[in-house]
Amino acid sequence: MKSAPSSSLHLLGATLLAALAAGVAAAQNSPQVVDVKAVLEADGVHPGKTIKVAAVARIAPGYHINDHQPTLDYLIPTEWKLESPKQVSVENVVYPKGELKKFAFSEKQLSVYEGNLMVGALLRVARTASPGVYALKGTFNYQACNDHACLPPKSVPVTLTVNVVGRGRSLKPLNADVFKSLGALEPARKNL
Amino acid sequence: MKSFKVALGAVLAILVVIGLYFINRYWIAPATQKQTLKSQSNDRPMAPAFSLNDLNGRKIDLADQKGKVVLLDFWATWCGPCRIEIPGFIKLQERYRDLGLVVIGVSMDDSVEPVRDFYHEFNMNYAVAMGDQRVTELYGGILGLPTTFVIGRDGRVYSKHMGATDVSVFEEEIKTLLAANAQGEVAQFQQVGGVRPAEQIQLGDPAEIDSEVPGVNLSKLNPQQAAMFKKQLESMKCDCGCNLNVLKCRQNDRACGVSKRLAREQLEKFLKPTV
Repeated sequence: MKSAPSSSLHLLGATLLAALAAGVAAAQNSPQVVDVKAVLEADGVHPGKTIKVAAVARIAPGYHINDHQPTLDYLIPTEWKLESPKQVSVENVVYPKGELKKFAFSEKQLSVYEGNLMVGALLRVARTASPGVYALKGTFNYQACNDHACLPPKSVPVTLTVNVVGRGRSLKPLNADVFKSLGALEPARKNL
Repeated sequence: MKSFKVALGAVLAILVVIGLYFINRYWIAPATQKQTLKSQSNDRPMAPAFSLNDLNGRKIDLADQKGKVVLLDFWATWCGPCRIEIPGFIKLQERYRDLGLVVIGVSMDDSVEPVRDFYHEFNMNYAVAMGDQRVTELYGGILGLPTTFVIGRDGRVYSKHMGATDVSVFEEEIKTLLAANAQGEVAQFQQVGGVRPAEQIQLGDPAEIDSEVPGVNLSKLNPQQAAMFKKQLESMKCDCGCNLNVLKCRQNDRACGVSKRLAREQLEKFLKPTV
């Protein structure tokens, strides 16, 4: 009498598989393996001064994105592009060094980012800037892979609002942990 | 006497169990298995037709490959796991061309130049076309690369492999399909290595893909109704953050799940008979 329990098992298996497939299909509609947000080092900046900002990306376990300066020329680099208004200029963008890793699909080691990534940028506010909120549009561009497959390149909007305040106003530091680790980054690789 | 009856009962019970075992083994189980094979076989969809240009501008039409086994590889030059598969595909094309294998590469690169360079650098010996949104949607949305489909002589999709896959897997599947005739479906075909959830074959519906409201099947509407339905979508704001109406959002961003859901819900309402 094997058929009855085996049919039930088949039915159960098929149901579980269908549920799993549905889950995967739903997940596939928006495969997002990188979460990015922008943070500032203070709640404001005075005219004529600089402010550090950062794009903080969390890369899903098992995935990596390419170094800003990839090891192989065919790889799509990670890039944070910022468009600044006239009163706020982007002085430089600093990317951390990637980690050299060997993957099944490459004979050579590749320099990649995994886990948490922080890209820093230094903004300078014009002396003539009037107090107010200045918006900076930007995109975080990356292309993610795991050990056996790749996802299409993505461009995620990452915008910032910089609050320019009068010289007399004191500034409150923000996101100290992020900017502490950014400070320790090797500054040799600067790219505008 | 009593012990004789007990013994007889036990013997009868054993005979019934043995009888049921044989009935199951030789009658019920094969029938169930047959049914399972049949239903698997019926689940194999026909490969969606497409026509794309190769790197020299010549047309690649899937319909022209009727009667051949087709290995359809979605890939890109920026994708390491895709690149590693290519030499294997070149060998397969060389080895099985005369037996009826056609390898077609569909590149998802944004521009043709790196694909051309790669084609020459790797001495590719099979046709490569530049992919577009439509062909990826026809093949169920290609979200990870490489994604490779194996299509039989009968035009059915037999397997889908997502991610870099050993060439021996494709070779085994191809050999099974090459051995079959063009008319018959290869019922005994099994995807080598099993089917992971992401490798379930789910193809797109051309009625939704080619619709004036992408992703929404308007075939139940006559032209006047379709125009009215589109007007309704134009008057609805899409709340995905695009600042567009639902129709515009659908047309501008086919991947937007919010506008697709809203448009489909609206179609359901539209089709509901008014009391």
